[in-house]
Amino acid sequence: MASLRLVNSAARRASSLIHVARRGYAEASDKIQLSMALPHESIFRSTDVVQVNVCAATGDMGILANHVPSVEPLRPGVVEVIESAGGSKKWFISGGFATVHPDNKLTINAVEAAPLEDFSVESIRTNLQEALRVASGNGSEEDKLEARIEAEVYESLQHALGSK
Amino acid sequence: MFARRTVARVVAQPSLLAAPSNARNMATLREIELRLKSVRNIEKITKSMKMIASTKLSKAQRAMQAGKLYGAANAEVFETAKEGAAGSQKLFIVVSSDKGLCGGIHSSVTKATRRAFGNTPDSPIAGASVEPNSSVMVIGDKSKAQLSRVLPNNFKLTFNQIGRDVPTFADAASVADLVVKSGVEYDSVVIIYNKFVSAISYEAAAIEIKGEKALKESEGFKKYEMEDDFTKDLAEFSLANALFAALTESHACEISARRNAMDNASKNAGDMIGSLTMQYNRGRQAAITNELVDIITGASAL
Repeated sequence: MASLRLVNSAARRASSLIHVARRGYAEASDKIQLSMALPHESIFRSTDVVQVNVCAATGDMGILANHVPSVEPLRPGVVEVIESAGGSKKWFISGGFATVHPDNKLTINAVEAAPLEDFSVESIRTNLQEALRVASGNGSEEDKLEARIEAEVYESLQHALGSK
Repeated sequence: MFARRTVARVVAQPSLLAAPSNARNMATLREIELRLKSVRNIEKITKSMKMIASTKLSKAQRAMQAGKLYGAANAEVFETAKEGAAGSQKLFIVVSSDKGLCGGIHSSVTKATRRAFGNTPDSPIAGASVEPNSSVMVIGDKSKAQLSRVLPNNFKLTFNQIGRDVPTFADAASVADLVVKSGVEYDSVVIIYNKFVSAISYEAAAIEIKGEKALKESEGFKKYEMEDDFTKDLAEFSLANALFAALTESHACEISARRNAMDNASKNAGDMIGSLTMQYNRGRQAAITNELVDIITGASAL
């Protein structure tokens, strides 16, 4: 009986401990410091955000606070930044690197990016057709490869706009 | 042979000088006038160069601001990956440009490179030892000319025509591409560039970017998780990013230094015009007075 009570109290204490720990964790840092930079503009400068969804080369991923340090190359696709609960902004980036640092920092270096709503569906379609035409045409191997990459970017852009 | 010639010249000179200063006042006036005209023309040129630099400056500074932040985001990984032994094989990339008339911009980076090679305490990469046979690549003809006298055997590649206008990422990427393709072996790349301190001052600084192998061996870099091995891609992309940051900052420094140099040149030309005008007017007046004296003495002698 006595031993049972002891276990019981220990269990209670443990649960309260866990509770305190979780709350502390949630309060201390549920945000990650994001720096997102382009060569000609910096979109975020060490801004605290809740979550960042990136399209890494190995698959889409969401990054929350205290993520394990990692290096992720990005493929052309959408980066979604959730600054606070509810609001989110989307950018289409042409590729780059996202790096999560040990001190709860996330840096994204992209060569080019633009807000998703700035794209025009018509020009994507015409440019995609042009790129596909060059890719299947009889240019040099290098030109074709470039056109194929171009077509891939347009396709993912079309996909991103379609799923908006 | 030489001695005789110099003697002859020394003898000849006084007579040449004495002739105009004696009585031929009109001739010297003419000379001063010509000189004044040429100084005025120079002033016009330096003034317009200053105006051009001033208008370019704000654009260059804006580009630098964005480039700096881009470089800072890029350098974060290398800050963490600093720990652990860095390889000793360094590749130096010196960032300057093709055009002169901008003060000591080019010699600033050249001197910094020489200090780095001399392993002096005020070297831009203090603490790291540089082997005398390290490779050097130079962006810009001016520093190329200066460094080719000091380190003629270390040159691997040189670039020009970059930095005429605000550098773009494509410029940096094409330089990085050629660096990677050149086959030069390195553990880390040291980019020596001019750091923008304020509108009137700059100083040479260095960014160090590790190569693929050194990055893999670094203790700090092992903290990062990677699903596949992207170290090579990361190293190459980082090189382009760091080059871009250095290019934009150097460009802003160059433009602001050119503005200052041209401002000073215009001021000096203005001073010179002032003193020459004074001399000219004085001479003119003296000539008139002399003529009057001649006439009056002639009249009173009658």
